[in-house]
Amino acid sequence: MAAKELDTTRNAVPFDKANIPGPKMAKAVKAEVAGKFISKAKRPLLIVGTAAGDDGVIEIVRTMAGKGIPVAATGSSLKRLKEEGIDATYVNLHALVSYLKDPDWKGFDGKGGYDTTIFLGHTYYYASQLMSTLKNFTKIKVISIDRHYHPNAGQSFGNLKPDDFIKALDVVVAQL
Amino acid sequence: MVIKKGKFTIEGLENVQINIDKVTSSDEEKEEPQGPTPAPDIHELRDWDMRLLKRYEPVYSPICDLCCYCTYGKCDLTGNKEGACGINMEAHQAREAMLRTLTGAAAHAGHGRHLLNHLIKRFGADHPIDVGPSDIKAPVTQTVLGIKPETIGDFVPVLDYVEEQITQLLATTHIGQEGSAIDFESKALHAGMVDHVGMEVSDIIQISCLDMPKSQADAPLVDVGMGIIDSTKPVLLCIGHNVAAVTYIMDYMDEHDLFDKIELAAICCTAHDMTRVNPKAKVVGSLSKQLKYIRSGIPDLIIVDEQCIRADMMRETSKLHIPVIATNDKVMYGLPDRSKDDIDDIIRDLASGDQPGVLLFDYDKVGELAPKLVMKMAPIRKEKGITALPSDDEFKKLASSCTQCGACVIGCPQGLEIDKAMEAAVEGNLTLFEELHDKCIGCGRCDVECPKNIPVLDVIEKASQKVIREEKGKLRTGRGQVGDPEIREEGVNLVLGTTPGVVAIIGCPNYPDGSRDVYEIAEEMLQRSYIVVTSGCSAMDIGMFKDDEGKTLYERYGGGFLKGNLLNTGSCVSNAHITATTIKVAAIFARRDITGNFEEIADYVMNRIGAVGLAWGGSTQKALSIGTGCNRLGIPVVLGPHGPKYRRAYPGKAYDKDKWNILDARNGSVHNVEPAPEHLLISAENKAELMPLLAKLCFRPGDNNLGRMLKLTHYNDLSEQSLDVLPDDWHIYVRSEADLPLAKREKLLKILEEEHGWKIDWDRKKILEGPARKVDISFQPTNVPRLCKGAVE
Ligand code: SF4
Ligand code: SF4
Ligand code: SF4
Repeated sequence: MAAKELDTTRNAVPFDKANIPGPKMAKAVKAEVAGKFISKAKRPLLIVGTAAGDDGVIEIVRTMAGKGIPVAATGSSLKRLKEEGIDATYVNLHALVSYLKDPDWKGFDGKGGYDTTIFLGHTYYYASQLMSTLKNFTKIKVISIDRHYHPNAGQSFGNLKPDDFIKALDVVVAQL
Repeated sequence: MVIKKGKFTIEGLENVQINIDKVTSSDEEKEEPQGPTPAPDIHELRDWDMRLLKRYEPVYSPICDLCCYCTYGKCDLTGNKEGACGINMEAHQAREAMLRTLTGAAAHAGHGRHLLNHLIKRFGADHPIDVGPSDIKAPVTQTVLGIKPETIGDFVPVLDYVEEQITQLLATTHIGQEGSAIDFESKALHAGMVDHVGMEVSDIIQISCLDMPKSQADAPLVDVGMGIIDSTKPVLLCIGHNVAAVTYIMDYMDEHDLFDKIELAAICCTAHDMTRVNPKAKVVGSLSKQLKYIRSGIPDLIIVDEQCIRADMMRETSKLHIPVIATNDKVMYGLPDRSKDDIDDIIRDLASGDQPGVLLFDYDKVGELAPKLVMKMAPIRKEKGITALPSDDEFKKLASSCTQCGACVIGCPQGLEIDKAMEAAVEGNLTLFEELHDKCIGCGRCDVECPKNIPVLDVIEKASQKVIREEKGKLRTGRGQVGDPEIREEGVNLVLGTTPGVVAIIGCPNYPDGSRDVYEIAEEMLQRSYIVVTSGCSAMDIGMFKDDEGKTLYERYGGGFLKGNLLNTGSCVSNAHITATTIKVAAIFARRDITGNFEEIADYVMNRIGAVGLAWGGSTQKALSIGTGCNRLGIPVVLGPHGPKYRRAYPGKAYDKDKWNILDARNGSVHNVEPAPEHLLISAENKAELMPLLAKLCFRPGDNNLGRMLKLTHYNDLSEQSLDVLPDDWHIYVRSEADLPLAKREKLLKILEEEHGWKIDWDRKKILEGPARKVDISFQPTNVPRLCKGAVE
C-alpha cells in the first residue's frame, strides 16, 4: 500500500469546539500552499509562542530564520530560541497586534510594517483571539502553521496528529 | 473634662478670660472643599478618559464577528464592516466590553443593595460605619460622590447614584444610541468606576454590621481546601457571594453548640465573608472547586445566594439527593417559594426528596432550618449509600471505554490532554490525571462532549483522590480596608519607591496552567518586598500551597500594609479596598483633597503610585469591571491568556514618543517621559512572561532615584530569570546613573555605552549624555492641564 499522502486540510474544525467566529473562517491549506504563500510575502514575520518547545518545531524556526524571516518571540519562547542560537526579538503578543494595527509602526528593524504574519507554537485560545484582531482590523495576512485549526487566521492547517505536524512543517520550509 | 463653647476662668489666673469657639484635635481632618466632579454623570469625566484612551488606544479582539442585537441582523461585521444600524465592528466591540463591565458592576451593586436593605432592616439606618482606625472611612465613595458617609443609611443615596449610572449606561446600548467606540470606552470606564463604589458600599456595611475584621493585619487564619472537610459529620455547604442569610445559620449554630457537630463550609466569596464573621467556618475553595465538590457527594445540604453559582446546580444535586435552599431572588432555579411555610413541613419535603430544593427568603427560618435539615440529611444519604464518585472497578471500566477520540480535549477550554490521561490510567498510571486536576477549572464541558458518555470530571476526581485528600491550606481571613495609620507609615515608602510596588492578585480561577501559578507569583513578589494584595478566588488559591516546612504564604508573611506583606482584603467586593488604598495614599501622604475630585486623584495614582492589578484567571464579568475601575483610576491591569476573550485591551505603544508627553504641574511645561506605566490593560501568555511585566508596570514617571533603582533591579532580574535576557527596553527607564542597580552599575553603564551609544564619564561613573530626560526631584508629573500652576480653568 502506498504511503498515505499528507493532507493538512482535513479535520479543519476549531480546536476549541465553539470557537466559531462568524462567516469568515480560515481556509484550510495544504502544507505546500502554505509554504508558497510565505515565500511570496514581501515583509513576513514569524511569531513564535511558548508552546514551540519541541525539537522538531525549533528546527523549523531555525530554518525559517535562516531564510531571513524575522522572528518575534512571544510568551517565554525567547529563552528556548536563545538556547538554540536563534535570533529573535521578544515582544508581548497582545502588544504586538496593537503595533501591527498601527500604520506608523516601523517594525522591529525600523524598515516598516509587515504584510504577512506566520503563527507557530502558541497557547491555542490566546493566539486565536489575537489573530482575531489582525483579521478584523488590518490587511495583514495571517497564516497559522500551528498544529490545530485556527478559524481566525486567513489560512490554517486542520487539526493534525503530532507526527503529521512535523512533516507538514518540513514541507512548508521546503518551499521557502 | 468636656470643654463647651463659652467663657470660664482658670484658677489662679485672675482677670484672664479665654474664649473657646471650637476645639480641634491635632488629628482632626481639615474640612475638605468639594471637588469639581461630585457624583459625576457619564460625560463629566470624559476628558480624563480621553486622555487615557489617547495614550492607551483600545485594541479589540472580537470573539464573535457578528452582531446579534436586533432584528435587522444578524449582521456580519467582519473586517470592521458596518451593520444594518450603522454600527461598525470597533464600536460594537467597545459596546460589548462596556456591557460586560456593566454586568459586573450590576452584580456588585445589586449585591450591595440587597445587603443594604437587609442590614438597615436588621440594624437600623443609623448604625454607624466602623471600618477600623481610619478617618477616611469610605475613600472611593468620597472621591467619586464627594460625600463622607457616617452611618449605613448614608449609603442609600450612594447606591441610588450607582444604580442611576448603571441604568443610564445600559440605556446607551439600545439601538439608535451611542455609535462611537471611544465613547463606549469612556462609558465602560465610568461603569468600572461606579462598580468600585458599589463594591465599597457592600463591604463597608457588612464590615460595620457583621463584626468582620476591621483593618486587621493579623486577622485569623482559617482552613482552606477540598481535603479539610470532615465528611463523617453532616456537611453544610454554602455557595455564592452574599453572606446575609448565612449569618443566621452561624448564629443558630453558635447558640446551639453545633460547630462541633456540623461541618460548615463554603465555596467562592461567601466562604470569605463567612469566615470573616466566624473563623470556625471552613473554605473549600474557589469557583473551580464548585462542580468538583458537589460531584464528590460530600455536601448533605447546599445553601446558595448569588453570583458565581453554577447554572446546572439542580441537575447535579438532585442526582445525589442533596437538597438546595436558595436565599436570594437573583438565583431561583424555578424552585417553589416556601418562605411562609412551616419549617417542619419544608424539612419533610426536602428530606424525602419530594422537592429537590426550595426558595427561602425568611432568614430566621434559614438559620434554624439549615442546621436541622443537614443533620437529618446526613444519615439518610448515608443509608441510601450515595457514593458519588466511581468505585475502583467502575473507574477502570470507564477509563478502558475511552477510545481516545479527543472530543473531550476539543471541548475543554483549557485543551487538557484528557485522552492521554485516560490511556495512562488504564495502565494504572494516575499521574497524568493528578497533574490535570490542578489545571482543570471544573467546568464539566468534557462530560457533555464525550460520545462514550464517560463522566470525565468524575474520572479526574476519582483519579486524583490522593492529591485531593492532601489539599489542606490556610487562608488569612479578609482584613477589610487598609487603615489610615498604615498608610501614614508605608505611603512614603511606596511613593518614594523603597517599596517597589503593590501587586494586587485578584479574581477568578480560570488560570492557564493551574492554581499553583498564583501561589508562585505571590511568593516571588513577596520575596522581592512588593506588597501583595489579594482577594476573591485567587486569595484562596494562594493559600492552598505550602513550602518545605509545610507553611502557607499566609503563615510566612505578615498581613499588614508593609513591604513584603501579603494582605487578603476579603471577598470580591473588598476589591474596592485596593483602589481605596491608592486614594488614601494620595490623601494622607500627598495631602490631596479627594472629595469629589476623581480626576486629580486618578492622575496622582497613575503618575506616582506603583500599583498593578493582576487578574490571572479573570473569567467573570465582575473581574472585567473591577479591572476597568482600576484602569480609570490609573492602575494598570494584567490578564492571563484567557483575557483577550474580554474583547478589548489598552496596550501602550512605547515606540510612539508623542504618546508620552506629560506636564510639569509647577509651570505647565511639557516633558517627554519614559513609557510608565507602559500598558493600562494587557495580557500575558504564561507566568514566565508575566513576571517581568508585573515589575515593569510598577514604573511611574514620579519615581525618585531610589525607587527607580529598585524597580529596575526587579525588572531586569525577573526578565533574566524568566526569559534569560535583560529586557531590551530597560535603558529607557534610566534617567541618571543613580537609577542603576548598585551591584550591576558598572556592567550596565558599559552596555549603555556600547550598545546604546551613551556617553559615560568612567572616572566618576557618571552618565554624561544619553537619557531621554534627567531626574528632577521636584518634577510634578500630571496629565491634566488645569492642575498646572497658573492654568486658567
Ligand atoms: S472539567 Fe476540566 S477537563 Fe473537563 S472540560 Fe472543563 S477544564 Fe477541561
Ligand atoms: S471524549 Fe470520551 S472517549 Fe473521547 S477521548 Fe475523551 S474521554 Fe475518551
Ligand atoms: S473571584 Fe471570580 S470566580 Fe471567584 S467568586 Fe469572585 S467573581 Fe466568582
